[in-house]
Amino acid sequence: MLDTAMRKYVRWVDAFNYGLGRVIMFGIFVLMGILLISSINKTFFTPTLWTLEMAQFVMVGYYILGGPFAMQMGANVRMDLLYGELTPRKKAWTDSFTVLFLIAYLGVLLWGGIDSTIYSFQYGGERSPSAWRPYLWPIKTIMCAGIFLMLLQAISELFKDILFIRTGTPVRHQNEEQGDAL
Amino acid sequence: QEPIRWRFQTYAGAALGEQVTKPIIDYINANANGELEVELFYADQIVPTGELFQALQRGTIDGVHSDDDSMASPTPLRVFGGYFPFATKHILDVPVLFNQYGLADIWRDEYAKVGVQWLSAAGQDPCNFNTKKEITSVSDLDGLKLYTFPTAGRFLAQFGVVPVNIPYEDAEVAVQTGELDGMAWSGITEDYTVGWADVTDYFLTNNISGAWIGSFFVNQERWAELPEHLKSVVMAGIEAGHTYRNQWYWGGEARLRATGDKLELRSVPADEWMQVEEAAKTFWDEIAQEGEVHQKIVSIFREYNSVINQAGAPYTNG
Amino acid sequence: MPYELIALLMFSTMMVMLFTGQRVFGAIGFVAVMAAILLWGDRGGYDIGFSAAIKVMRWYPLLTLPMFIFMGYVLSESKIADDLYRMFHVWMGGLSGGLAIGTIGLMVLISAMNGLSVAGMAIGATIALPELLKRNYDKLMVTGVIQAGSSLGILVPPSVVLVLYAMIARQPVGQLWLAGALPGLMMAALFVLYIVIRCKITPSLGPTLSEEERAEITWAEKLRLLRAGLLPVVIFAVMMVPFVNGWTSLVESSAIGAIAAFVAAVLKRRMTWTVFETSVRQTLAITCMFMWIILAALAFGAVFDGLGAVKAIEDLFTEKWGLNPWIILILMQLSFLLMGTFLDDTAMLVIVAPLYVPLVGALGFDLVWYGVLYTITCQIAYMTPPFGYNLFLMRAMAPPEITIRDIYRSIIPFVGVMILALALVMIFPQIALWLPSQVYGN
Ligand code: NA
Ligand code: NA
Repeated sequence: MLDTAMRKYVRWVDAFNYGLGRVIMFGIFVLMGILLISSINKTFFTPTLWTLEMAQFVMVGYYILGGPFAMQMGANVRMDLLYGELTPRKKAWTDSFTVLFLIAYLGVLLWGGIDSTIYSFQYGGERSPSAWRPYLWPIKTIMCAGIFLMLLQAISELFKDILFIRTGTPVRHQNEEQGDAL
Repeated sequence: QEPIRWRFQTYAGAALGEQVTKPIIDYINANANGELEVELFYADQIVPTGELFQALQRGTIDGVHSDDDSMASPTPLRVFGGYFPFATKHILDVPVLFNQYGLADIWRDEYAKVGVQWLSAAGQDPCNFNTKKEITSVSDLDGLKLYTFPTAGRFLAQFGVVPVNIPYEDAEVAVQTGELDGMAWSGITEDYTVGWADVTDYFLTNNISGAWIGSFFVNQERWAELPEHLKSVVMAGIEAGHTYRNQWYWGGEARLRATGDKLELRSVPADEWMQVEEAAKTFWDEIAQEGEVHQKIVSIFREYNSVINQAGAPYTNG
Repeated sequence: MPYELIALLMFSTMMVMLFTGQRVFGAIGFVAVMAAILLWGDRGGYDIGFSAAIKVMRWYPLLTLPMFIFMGYVLSESKIADDLYRMFHVWMGGLSGGLAIGTIGLMVLISAMNGLSVAGMAIGATIALPELLKRNYDKLMVTGVIQAGSSLGILVPPSVVLVLYAMIARQPVGQLWLAGALPGLMMAALFVLYIVIRCKITPSLGPTLSEEERAEITWAEKLRLLRAGLLPVVIFAVMMVPFVNGWTSLVESSAIGAIAAFVAAVLKRRMTWTVFETSVRQTLAITCMFMWIILAALAFGAVFDGLGAVKAIEDLFTEKWGLNPWIILILMQLSFLLMGTFLDDTAMLVIVAPLYVPLVGALGFDLVWYGVLYTITCQIAYMTPPFGYNLFLMRAMAPPEITIRDIYRSIIPFVGVMILALALVMIFPQIALWLPSQVYGN
């Protein structure tokens, strides 16, 4: 019963974050495009006011919304001096506890983010201290959404470990290659 | 008894902060008899400057030295802090406007509404241009990429200036890489102090404002908790700091213009610069439309300006 | 509790947490935000984590990160650099140890086109390694050459490691990159010198190409391959000319470089869907890894800064123990080399960030120069067991005749050369600082 619920959770969260990440990964071209426009305008026409800040916003969206997918890929490095020697089962046991630290960190990050986002709606809307003066609530909302998804993904990793320990069904750790990312 | 500890962040980087903020903190620490210990942090050290205000409101930091513009103040005062175009001629205009013309009351009230204790404002240097390209006429401003204050940038955009917004500490390098043509940020004292004089070649004697308006703020609860005698120590430290800065800037501006060897002086003829001053009047009108508080402050500026214009030199020499 | 003790506690907790094998960013971030809440919980300590995200957003040179990572993947996945290897092969093959020297040349060119060591490793291990082994080069020599050569990717500009360092140390990226250029070339020259001397003593380590093989290569072929050398020159020029002329910023140039590499791959008909998909996906993965770590590291740094811990440690070293700044620096570097054996560059960044950089600054050393020392130490860390990216990559990519033992042994002489380079840059800071002072001097 509990297993089924966890499985459902894992399936939904992983599928959503996977799909989102597959879209977000193309954001690199949006970033290139903005910087290219900026270069062209600067070199041949009048420099644009909005490009640099817009590129910063896109970059934030890119790595925060893409974060959960990167976590699925096993991209976040670990110190595998001791951990690397463990059996998949022991890895799952260790992770089930240590992932709580990750969850706590993401929780506090989200707490600060929500506070800052609420602030960005107050006093007629917080605007960036630049000549372009964009409102900041859109990017802050995106950041909060991304951190929240990251939190869901971390919980999904926890569930996968619990399921693996309980049922022996390989969910991860078998196919996760260390150092795959670099 | 455990001392009260404050974390205080200034808008200034370490080199400038040494002159504009640190003397005050040192004074407070030396005179609080160990009952209050203020730790000073420079630009972006604990929180980024753009987040200064909310951090202060929440109490992540306890005190701030900044202009309203850079720290993205959520009050209508935001445009007036920093360099409001042509609002002042000299460094002493700022305390006069605050203490004799009523700006202090407006500032105190507006910040009380958003949960922050405003303590005191004072002037600093004028807003001149230091650039790699020579400026000798208003048309030279066209296409110039300048590091400047948000409101100053909005104002200067009509002359073709491209305001660039980057963290303070990165401005120097941005000039070296050609990303910036210079700054419209400070007087000559600051240019030499922070190292900008090393990377730019010219100093334009015309300014768009005669003195920077900046304030000291404290988290409301922290202030309320402070015993009266410590409040006096804090205020006395701030006043002493104002006096020190008045001299540091006033003397520095004169000495470095006269004898500094890193920046060559350039000027736009006064009658041509008049068009920039005229544009400021239109800008004032636009800002006054934005709200009641705006209107009130602009009318105070107008009143003060008419007084000094009648008084004549030295008040009118910018 | 005194601040020194809190600082010590934060560090030891972080180290313990890292050893549990949890994701590095989670371990660091947890210690940072928990310390902030315990210290200043009633006064908004919880938002230090998020305000680091705003700091990261506002620091525009970080935008170069995905660009150079993407460039590296396009180069290695699309194999557009194959001809580059052939070029060195035919031109250098006649010398004793020439193919190994040529491989160092290849690595320098690849390093000039991307900011990590991964592209160099991929190209070296998949193209150069089999060719050299086929020609009876000593397998230890070859394995070492590729691991050491590819690590130049983070020292020769552009460098992702130096971008991250720049964010932490608040130093200009442009100056840091220029500072890395000469030490990078010097290190490459030292590698070459080592190869030459070794092959002089034992020519069988790096045999010359056979007469028949050399006869097969026509001059027309030699000249045609020389054109391959144009590719990095073109990509580098497209990227650097607008930058040096001040038409574009560093960040914009990095985008132009990434686009140039992409277009080159398309024109050479190497941009298949698989290459494209892998490059795009891996760029996201690596960018996320770096960004989340820097996010956590900045929060950690802010808490540490807020404690005034660095001042306390500085006083301890200089006043209580009366140590000379140089002694402190050398001790720091030694401890850092030691840590580098079991930490990777990102975890080292976390130690460097709150502790070493402010301390080096407080002791009066140049932080641009220190950035180069830091990067060389990271290079060494990449190769030293038990933990090192280049070791892992070599393990994954090397043919079966190369054992783990071989890989571990192969790095010894090259790590020696790198330590020599590190010492040279320490003794003669001008090796690093001369170029930036020439370019940025008024
Ligand atoms: Na490189
Ligand atoms: Na290592």
